[in-house]
Amino acid sequence: MNAKMKSSMWLSGGVILVAFATWIYQLQEGLILTNMQNSYSWGLYISGLAFFVGNAAGGLVLTSSIYLFGVKKLKPLAKLGALTAFANVTAAMLIVLPDIGKPQRLLNLILHPNFMSPLVWDVIVLNLYALASATYLYILMLPELTGRLAWLSIKVDNVQEFSEKWAKRLAPVALLFAIGIHVVTAWIFSTQGARDWWHSPAMAPDFVSVAIAVGTTVVLLAGALAYGTGEEYQEAFRLLGLIIFMAVCTHLFLMMNDLVIHAWYGSGETQRIMEIAWGHFVWAHIFEVAAPLIGAWLLLQPAVRRSMPRLSFSSGLLIAGVFVHRFLIMPAAYNNIPMTMTPLGLPHTDWSLPIATGRFFPGMSTFIDQYRYIPSSVEVVILLGIVAYALLLILLAIDRLPILVKEKP
Amino acid sequence: MKMGMVIDLEKCIGCRSCMVACKQHNAQPPQTWWNRVFTPGSHRHLTPPAKGVEFFLPVHCQHCENAPCEKVCPVGATYHAEDGAVLIDYERCIGCRYCMSACPYGVRQFNWEDPEKAHVRSEYQEKYHYGYPEDHRHEGRLVYMPLRPKGIVEKCTFCAQYRDKGELPACVRGCPGKARFVGDLDDPNSEVSVMIKQRNAFTLLPEKGTKPTVFYLPPKAKEV
Amino acid sequence: MHIDRRDFLRGAVGTGCALAMGLKFFHFSDDSEAYAAEVDALVRSTCSPNCTGACGFKARVTKGRISTLIQAADYPEDSYNPRGCLRGLSMMDLIYGKDRLKYPLIRTGPRGSGQFRRASWDEALDYAAGKLKEISGKYGPEAIATTIQVPGTGYVQKGAMVALAGLAHWTMHHGYDQNGDLPMFWPMTFGVQSEELESLEWVNARTTMIFGSNVIQTRLPDAHHLIEAKRRGRVVVVDPDFCSTAAKADEWLPIKADTDAALGLGMAKIIIDRKLYDAEFLQDFSDFPILVRQDTGKRLLAGDLPALAAEVTTRTIPDYRRLFVVRSGDAFRILDPENLASTHAELEGEFAVTLADGQSIKVETVFSALRKTLVAYDLKTVATITGLDPAQIERVAVDAAANTPLHVIYGASNYQWYNGDLKGRALSLLPVLLGSIGKSGAGISTYAGQYRIRFNLKSWWFPEGGKLNWVPYLHFLQGKGPRYPKNGIKAMVGGWGNPFDQHNMSNRLKERATSGELEFILTCDFQMSTSCMWSDVVLPAPSWYEKHDLTATILHPYLQLQQPAIKPLFESKSELWIFRELAKRLNPDYEKHFFPELDENAAALKVIELLLATGGPETAGITLEMLQKGPVRLHSPAPDNRQIPFYEQVQHRKPFPPPSYPAPIKATGQFLRSGRIEFYKDEDLFLSEGEQLPVHKETYLETEYKVNPAVREKYRLRFVTKNSLYRVHSTHSNNTILLELQDNKAKVFLNPGDAGERGIVNGDLVQIFNDRGKTRAYAILDPGCSASTVIFEEGWWSRYLGDESYNSLTFPWIKPLHEIYFVPGMWSPTTVWNECLVDVRRMNA
Ligand SMILES: Nc1nc2c(c(=O)[nH]1)N[C@H]1C(S)=C(S)[C@@H](COP(=O)(O)OP(=O)(O)OC[C@H]3O[C@@H](n4cnc5c(=O)[nH]c(N)nc54)[C@H](O)[C@@H]3O)O[C@H]1N2
Ligand SMILES: Nc1nc2c(c(=O)[nH]1)N[C@H]1C(S)=C(S)[C@@H](COP(=O)(O)OP(=O)(O)OC[C@H]3O[C@@H](n4cnc5c(=O)[nH]c(N)nc54)[C@H](O)[C@@H]3O)O[C@H]1N2
Ligand code: SF4
Ligand code: SF4
Ligand code: SF4
Ligand code: SF4
Ligand code: SF4
Ligand SMILES: [Mo]
Repeated sequence: MNAKMKSSMWLSGGVILVAFATWIYQLQEGLILTNMQNSYSWGLYISGLAFFVGNAAGGLVLTSSIYLFGVKKLKPLAKLGALTAFANVTAAMLIVLPDIGKPQRLLNLILHPNFMSPLVWDVIVLNLYALASATYLYILMLPELTGRLAWLSIKVDNVQEFSEKWAKRLAPVALLFAIGIHVVTAWIFSTQGARDWWHSPAMAPDFVSVAIAVGTTVVLLAGALAYGTGEEYQEAFRLLGLIIFMAVCTHLFLMMNDLVIHAWYGSGETQRIMEIAWGHFVWAHIFEVAAPLIGAWLLLQPAVRRSMPRLSFSSGLLIAGVFVHRFLIMPAAYNNIPMTMTPLGLPHTDWSLPIATGRFFPGMSTFIDQYRYIPSSVEVVILLGIVAYALLLILLAIDRLPILVKEKP
Repeated sequence: MKMGMVIDLEKCIGCRSCMVACKQHNAQPPQTWWNRVFTPGSHRHLTPPAKGVEFFLPVHCQHCENAPCEKVCPVGATYHAEDGAVLIDYERCIGCRYCMSACPYGVRQFNWEDPEKAHVRSEYQEKYHYGYPEDHRHEGRLVYMPLRPKGIVEKCTFCAQYRDKGELPACVRGCPGKARFVGDLDDPNSEVSVMIKQRNAFTLLPEKGTKPTVFYLPPKAKEV
Repeated sequence: MHIDRRDFLRGAVGTGCALAMGLKFFHFSDDSEAYAAEVDALVRSTCSPNCTGACGFKARVTKGRISTLIQAADYPEDSYNPRGCLRGLSMMDLIYGKDRLKYPLIRTGPRGSGQFRRASWDEALDYAAGKLKEISGKYGPEAIATTIQVPGTGYVQKGAMVALAGLAHWTMHHGYDQNGDLPMFWPMTFGVQSEELESLEWVNARTTMIFGSNVIQTRLPDAHHLIEAKRRGRVVVVDPDFCSTAAKADEWLPIKADTDAALGLGMAKIIIDRKLYDAEFLQDFSDFPILVRQDTGKRLLAGDLPALAAEVTTRTIPDYRRLFVVRSGDAFRILDPENLASTHAELEGEFAVTLADGQSIKVETVFSALRKTLVAYDLKTVATITGLDPAQIERVAVDAAANTPLHVIYGASNYQWYNGDLKGRALSLLPVLLGSIGKSGAGISTYAGQYRIRFNLKSWWFPEGGKLNWVPYLHFLQGKGPRYPKNGIKAMVGGWGNPFDQHNMSNRLKERATSGELEFILTCDFQMSTSCMWSDVVLPAPSWYEKHDLTATILHPYLQLQQPAIKPLFESKSELWIFRELAKRLNPDYEKHFFPELDENAAALKVIELLLATGGPETAGITLEMLQKGPVRLHSPAPDNRQIPFYEQVQHRKPFPPPSYPAPIKATGQFLRSGRIEFYKDEDLFLSEGEQLPVHKETYLETEYKVNPAVREKYRLRFVTKNSLYRVHSTHSNNTILLELQDNKAKVFLNPGDAGERGIVNGDLVQIFNDRGKTRAYAILDPGCSASTVIFEEGWWSRYLGDESYNSLTFPWIKPLHEIYFVPGMWSPTTVWNECLVDVRRMNA
């Protein structure tokens, strides 16, 4: 293990510990430590869920397409893909924990599941996806589970062949799950008739395209970090770059399509959404559009793909853009209080009924119809803890498991 | 039987007594309000949005027949009681706040912290807190507690603790405008059913398809 | 299926509401007996702040504490149920809140610093008694002053303070004029302190005209009767502000502030010009046929007419009456002030008469004189003065005349102006012209303060040997006046009031406290109000759920009890006990009036029995036991004991005025020497002021502009301080539940134009200022607020206003007419809060 990796692991470990302690503190004091309140009931944590779910996707999409469509060039990235998928999907599940008011009651999900609830579907698909990515990774690693890892392997005649065969067989299932987690996660939002910003059939396909973009970027970045930007990988990276670019374009198309429809319809609510998106959050919004686009475009440039710093910057830009995009799911949904009406006698006014914040601090306003949410430090620390978890998991796996392909392709 | 409420906006004087009755009887800690009365069009209650226009709108849980909050609740903590009221099982709720997001009326309130702490911070005398003082179970499920644990969601229960004793909800008893009525929507001859039929009753956000069981009677237009 | 309620209760507790299905849905008020079995206690008391709503409440008591409060809803007329409001519903916030007084306190730091030490009752009382004796010895007992605030909200406990003040010969301020609630048009026009319809009668009006009374907020529990009145008839609101009452009205007249007199006169002119008035009513019950001398402006006395002089000697009338002359059947006749029988007197006419001294003069009827006065109030002029649409004025007046009974509600903020009396006199013309007096749903009502004592209190309030030195509060503030003690006022003993916030020139009061001019200040309250902060001794009293008292206020004429739901919190002691202990220490002789042999609760109950037994016809037959079962209606001459003013005068033709407790009839009878409703006043000052008949006078001429003409340019905004939904004056100022409803901020409402001129936007912290003082609040741009009017909801404790009381801006103007008679709380100089000019600016600008 090199020193960089080691210090990264220590750092991640440290962040995880701090975040865990912070979560314990939050458990004691309640979610009052976050900056969410009644009218803004989901914040950074749930944005994190959407973000990690997105990251998780690319991995299996990529890996399964290698076997499904026989894209040989990408083979060295297959295990990495499955690994990042596993790390991110478990991170996605973990980030929900601090968002839950009573995590000690999570068992109720099993005891009393309500199958009408998209959240239950999501729990199911996320778990299945985690299982799938773990299994996939395992199958791909099978041939190399030798030596001190031998105890992990199973007895089959031809390991190599077995691995290939099952990787192929599992590919469509994995792809289905990969798409499934996005669709279902998107449904959590898009089924909410209360929130016009979300209530759109475009949300699920958009989630898928974002996921393909960012998930692939994550694999690309991980691959570059693991293997370097040597010439032998350029073919693969080029292909990834292409996928990413196309996915970003699809995402932007779907998003703009949604915005145009909202803007065109011009009802009070959609106007408010536009105001929030283009008013208060205009810079963030520009960034969410520009960053992935520029990032993806840069990744199409051979010069970028050949330079580690440039490649990292471009992928980072794209990932950051997507993160901001995920964060921006919330404001236009929650800053726009859903109980909006046109008061009798006032034909041209849209008015939303203020909501009590639910958080008591002496002297503060009680009822809110506009709220600028900025995550609290507790939320940021916990989110960073989850990021650190994913990182640590990947690093550990790379360190301990035969993730990286030793021989040249 | 189907519980229903009618609020007559002609009679509603915007006094907010129902808010306070609700808050007090249902032991809502500082900064938590299940019931809100505002002046539509204005950010300030009792300040007209425009010269010569002002009416008042009380809003609490609409006890929707097609309740998104119930549908999204992953653990079935939010449920329809037999009489049509939408209730929350305080023992079941995991505090995911999905329901808050899904409710178009913004009526759900979360316990961001231990209510006792909030009471202490607002400097009530030693451990004093107001409200109906006992836990209450409806159809066996815990739907009222004077001190709710932190981390769960709460909202208007149609005053389950009082209804089960044959008493009217606190907001109805507390409304000096005599603007609130409750009754059986299934009975076409009940006071509420008759009012709904005869007085152009409307519901809030009908476009959301939630089918509220809280109905509003429009204020009388001013004859100038 | 039918289930008995009690079975149901038993079943429901265990099995939930499955059983409720078959039950006849809900019951309005609970069956206390069955309910009480399940709770520790359910006690009925009466919410008794200064709003005088006196709403019956039930307190649920759990482990010795009040867990919930809800309207008792036990009034026999269901229309009165459920009486109560958000303030009453959140009263436990004050009972258990942080400002609750726990122990007697003695000041240790400078006045107003809030530094006190806890003292024992004995120590505090001994100290207070010592100080009071010392001051009384040095300056005379009248140097000690106290105030009586709204008697009707607690006849027993407040009576103890009044009784002690009387026994000790202290000075007494009457809260009615102190608060500016005394509507001086009442004694001038109707000879009474004030009168009003109970709210159940509102629904019988066909036209309701509200002039500056925000009943939806200030008479909140009765407001639903207004909505019903609107359903059955028409409701018109005249208010410079589009207040919530205006929002509920059929019609709103956005009048320019303080021009109501012009509007009243303009409408009267329309009614008269079109002969829409009730001539017969005017002949019999008003002074309109009385002849007035054109030379002196005085009313013609029968004794001055040779033809009637002989007859005059045969008539015996009380001292306070006069024999005036009317023209009837082509002859001059004596108008009998004691008999309102039909006279068929002529309403109009100008006549030449020769007096006993041979002088030949011209006389005319009051009605004719009025018509002349009204010439100046043609529609166009009135529209210009009031800023209203002439067509609207005309329509409203004609509609009202066509739809009687007319009920006029005349609000406090409307008459709390220097010329408020003129407005009241002008507006009373409307119901009187239309014969809408003394009938169901008819009349003019004021619902401010309400000091009107409902029955005879003498036995408890005014002990033998007692004497009160009545001094109007405004004289105290000005430091001079007819009865002002020669050594000044050196000590204040207070309770049930918060003058350090609520009173005119509260800063002057603070100055007097700081300078030491006031040598001793004692306040008893149940919370640490601003006045307590400024006191030397603070005595903790119980709230209305911790003691016995008897209440009887307006709008629902019921006698009700305050009853202890819980024991007095901490060391608080009832006022009866406090003043008895003080009495004992001041002079052992005084104590016997206060039932020293009984404990404080037994004594209070004894006093209730005493008051009921000696209260006169109003309380005849009512017993303590009846009251313990629930509210009992006071007796009145109207059918069903309804509270209908002047019912006897009009229906039984009894002379005006009916008596106003506790004044003897000779004191109030002198206000109406004709025994009739009087619009014509001929006391010299009325004549020299040109106010013998109601007229409109321009605002500030006699006040702000006179004192400093530069003010005309400098301060152009009217500072109108009206009452808040969320407080009863300063009570509930600190109610955390209600503060939440106000965003925890004091606000000032500005016309958007005025705000724009000053660069003020919504939410700005602004300073309101004039040469006298300043205060601060957050600006709300209110499209309903008329130009040049700044509306501030009074009642904030100064701690919420950066320690700058809004009453540092106001001034104790005195209108000399209010000093020509003096009957405490009936004819007396009265505070005019709104006669106040200010400007506003952004705090950070
Ligand atoms: N909620 C609540 N209720 C209360 C009280 C309280 O503090 N809070 N206090 C009680 C007491 S003691 C009193 S005295 C009463 C007073 O109660 P009200 O008589 O209702 O008096 P305000 O609320 O002061 O003002 C009523 C209206 O008068 C208007 N006004 C001001 N100037 C003029 C004018 O020149 N002409 C006209 N036409 N209108 C004008 C104001 O805009 C305001 O809307 O309320 C009682 N009830
Ligand atoms: N600028 C301006 N000033 C005004 C007005 C205005 O319109 N403008 N309005 C005026 C009017 S109309 C009025 S009526 C006055 C009201 O002026 P106040 O009567 O002085 O005002 P409140 O706030 O009602 O004061 C009542 C006090 O009595 C206490 N108290 C209540 N119950 C009890 C009890 O049982 N025992 C004892 N010991 N104390 C008790 C309360 O805690 C409170 O501190 O304000 C006047 N001030
Ligand atoms: S208590 Fe009644 S009148 Fe008052 S705001 Fe509520 S519904 Fe309206
Ligand atoms: S109003 Fe909201 S909380 Fe109530 S039933 Fe409807 S969706 Fe659920
Ligand atoms: S917060 Fe509670 S009631 Fe709401 S959806 Fe989650 S579990 Fe159900
Ligand atoms: S029914 Fe009960 S819980 Fe619902 S708003 Fe009314 S008082 Fe509150
Ligand atoms: S504050 Fe006044 S109106 Fe409100 S409940 Fe008490 S007495 Fe009634
Ligand atoms: Mo008053």
